[in-house]
Amino acid sequence: MTDQDRVELKDVDLSDLDRFRDNRAWAQFDTLRREDPLHWNPEPAPNSGFWSVTRYADIWAVDKDSETFTSEKFVNLEEVDDDLMDIRRSILETDGQRHLAMRQLVAREFSPRNLMKNYEGILRELTKRTVDEALREPEFDFVEKISADFPIQVLARLLDVPMRDTGQLIAWGNEMVGNTDPDYTQHRLDSPESEKYKHLPFRSPTTQDVFDYGRALRDRRRGGDGKDLVSLLANKMPTDGIPLSDRDFDNYFLLLVVAGNETTRHAISNAMLGLLRQPEQLRALRSEPALIGTGLEELLRWASPVYHFRRTATRDVEMHGKTIRAGDKVVMWFASGNRDESPFADPYAIDVTRSNVDHLTFGKGSPHLCMGNGLARMEIRLMFEELLPRLHDIDLAGEVTRVRSNFVNGIKKFPVKVAVRG
Amino acid sequence: MTEMDLVVRDVEPVARDVVALTLAHPAGAELPVWTPGAHIDLVLGADLVRQYSLCGRTGQPDAWRVAVLREEHGRGGSQAVHALSAGATVRVRGPRNHFPVEAATRYVFVAGGIGITPLLAMIYELAAAGADWELHYGGRSQASMAFLDELAPFGSRVRLWPQDEVGLIDLAVALGEPRPGTHIYTCGPEPLLAAVEQRCGAGWPPGTLHLERFSPKQVDKPDEEHALEIELRRSGRTLAVRADQSIFDAVRGAGISVLGSCLEGICGTCETQVLDGEVDHRDSVLDDEERAANDCMMICVSRGRSERLVLDL
Repeated sequence: MTDQDRVELKDVDLSDLDRFRDNRAWAQFDTLRREDPLHWNPEPAPNSGFWSVTRYADIWAVDKDSETFTSEKFVNLEEVDDDLMDIRRSILETDGQRHLAMRQLVAREFSPRNLMKNYEGILRELTKRTVDEALREPEFDFVEKISADFPIQVLARLLDVPMRDTGQLIAWGNEMVGNTDPDYTQHRLDSPESEKYKHLPFRSPTTQDVFDYGRALRDRRRGGDGKDLVSLLANKMPTDGIPLSDRDFDNYFLLLVVAGNETTRHAISNAMLGLLRQPEQLRALRSEPALIGTGLEELLRWASPVYHFRRTATRDVEMHGKTIRAGDKVVMWFASGNRDESPFADPYAIDVTRSNVDHLTFGKGSPHLCMGNGLARMEIRLMFEELLPRLHDIDLAGEVTRVRSNFVNGIKKFPVKVAVRG
Repeated sequence: MTEMDLVVRDVEPVARDVVALTLAHPAGAELPVWTPGAHIDLVLGADLVRQYSLCGRTGQPDAWRVAVLREEHGRGGSQAVHALSAGATVRVRGPRNHFPVEAATRYVFVAGGIGITPLLAMIYELAAAGADWELHYGGRSQASMAFLDELAPFGSRVRLWPQDEVGLIDLAVALGEPRPGTHIYTCGPEPLLAAVEQRCGAGWPPGTLHLERFSPKQVDKPDEEHALEIELRRSGRTLAVRADQSIFDAVRGAGISVLGSCLEGICGTCETQVLDGEVDHRDSVLDDEERAANDCMMICVSRGRSERLVLDL
């Protein structure tokens, strides 16, 4: 159980974003897993409420069954108008053959083998440089200097875009995923004026800039033989034989920019924060760096950078004695499943020697399992392999602030002071 | 997918038992863009949906052409098409393309009977682009072979193999020796496809052959699984995998840590390097080329063709 105060079932509200900003979600998850594993959570209008699924086994069952629990009705809490769905649809919100065909365009680039072959060397160099740069100062913001800098540089390599554009890519990612946080966006999703942008992904007016940027890249690479992700999307025919439309491309590109950037950053920050709070685990990894390879899965479980994805029931389903009606939103709280006592004894303790940690961090059993999971694993492993041996000591040097979101478990500021090994 | 009602503008006999239908939008609107190799679904009745390749020229958005062989002992689709006459309305879905043309320095087309249809669209496009290609086209007799008049202007690039005159297509002649840069496209009856497939298995680089089957190939899954032995090279262990367990379960059961997520061969998390032995691939992750390379496998579902596999674990 978490060290947070116990929350009564009647007080649980997973649509209250401020509680996520204040990192008070965990005790609510504990209550739901224990007392009400299929929980109806009302929402403020215009939304209609959702079912929360919080136990490990149930999340797996829902994620696996894309016929009963479709992604086609969109996958976050926002309810998208029927006539806008096709405009905003990316592979995240596509099921079946088309989903598979679109995923296959770039999926193999993300296989562990191809990543190791094509990127491991470059990434290790990048990591070293990032770490060198950060450790010049005895105090710095871990998010800015380590977590944010590195994934975006990797993404820039995968997309083959100039390094000078990375600042822009980070800002775009922040604005899209942090669309409920006033620090990141002027157009908060949970404000009435976001109606104006409801035809755009994440309801963000900035998406048009991302589209323009992506299309310019694509047009230059058409007909070439580049192996970067943009060239693959520009030139490869999906296996179902339906070419990518301009809109398909726009939404795909946007997704790569956002997904390749935010989540890994938050995973690295959360993992480091966890190690800092459970310093015997940090010591274990430092004294035996070989543990980083296996301990990585435990860190991923701990970090849970994505709180949830949503599905929609396509038919009436019974679960835990209740009936989910066709059309109801069903939310898989991956972060909760990662703290489920049933597969993970003592779930709030980080134990880097835990074996076979089948966490839900990337999804589970789903055709939508995070396509970048191999890349994320490699980035996080390299970062800790390069960073930890250099640290003599690391401590908090100020307040940690979090993203106001129940989608990403994000850290905005993470001030640290470090002593470097001589 | 696009679904719409089109009008049959023309029905033309193009060989014995073969008609070509020209389909157009009732209001004269432009039809969706397609690429050679694409097919459309004709919805001919509640349970009667049939796929036919588009066999005209791309870049003619006012009409599509399909050609259909009447099959007396078919399942009714071809007879329903043959019953259509000009002016009839037919529901159409698509187009989709499972048989796209990839860039190559040279193309060999092998057509059997009505299998000429997707290849004809490819030929029109490649000929216009100045590509290097040849077609071997077999059929029972010249009278049964569609579009001979349209192929005539291509001269010596086209070789006809009417069975009643010259026998079956001699694949040794048609395909010749393996040549890098050549892609082979074939469509026709199953025995022809199987023969081409067999010949391409020997000597041609993986990825050379592209074929279109009208029904999916059945993956041979044995009635009964057999046990196998796996050597884990890095761990220095050898394990027996029972017929009723997966390699993944056997490895974990032996206390060896290994990543996995979906356990159904769809997510790719348990991809493992294969050092020796022949894999029986059962996953949905790897493509044909990667399977043929036999250097990695998804250990949650795939097993061994050989009784022993050596894995990098």
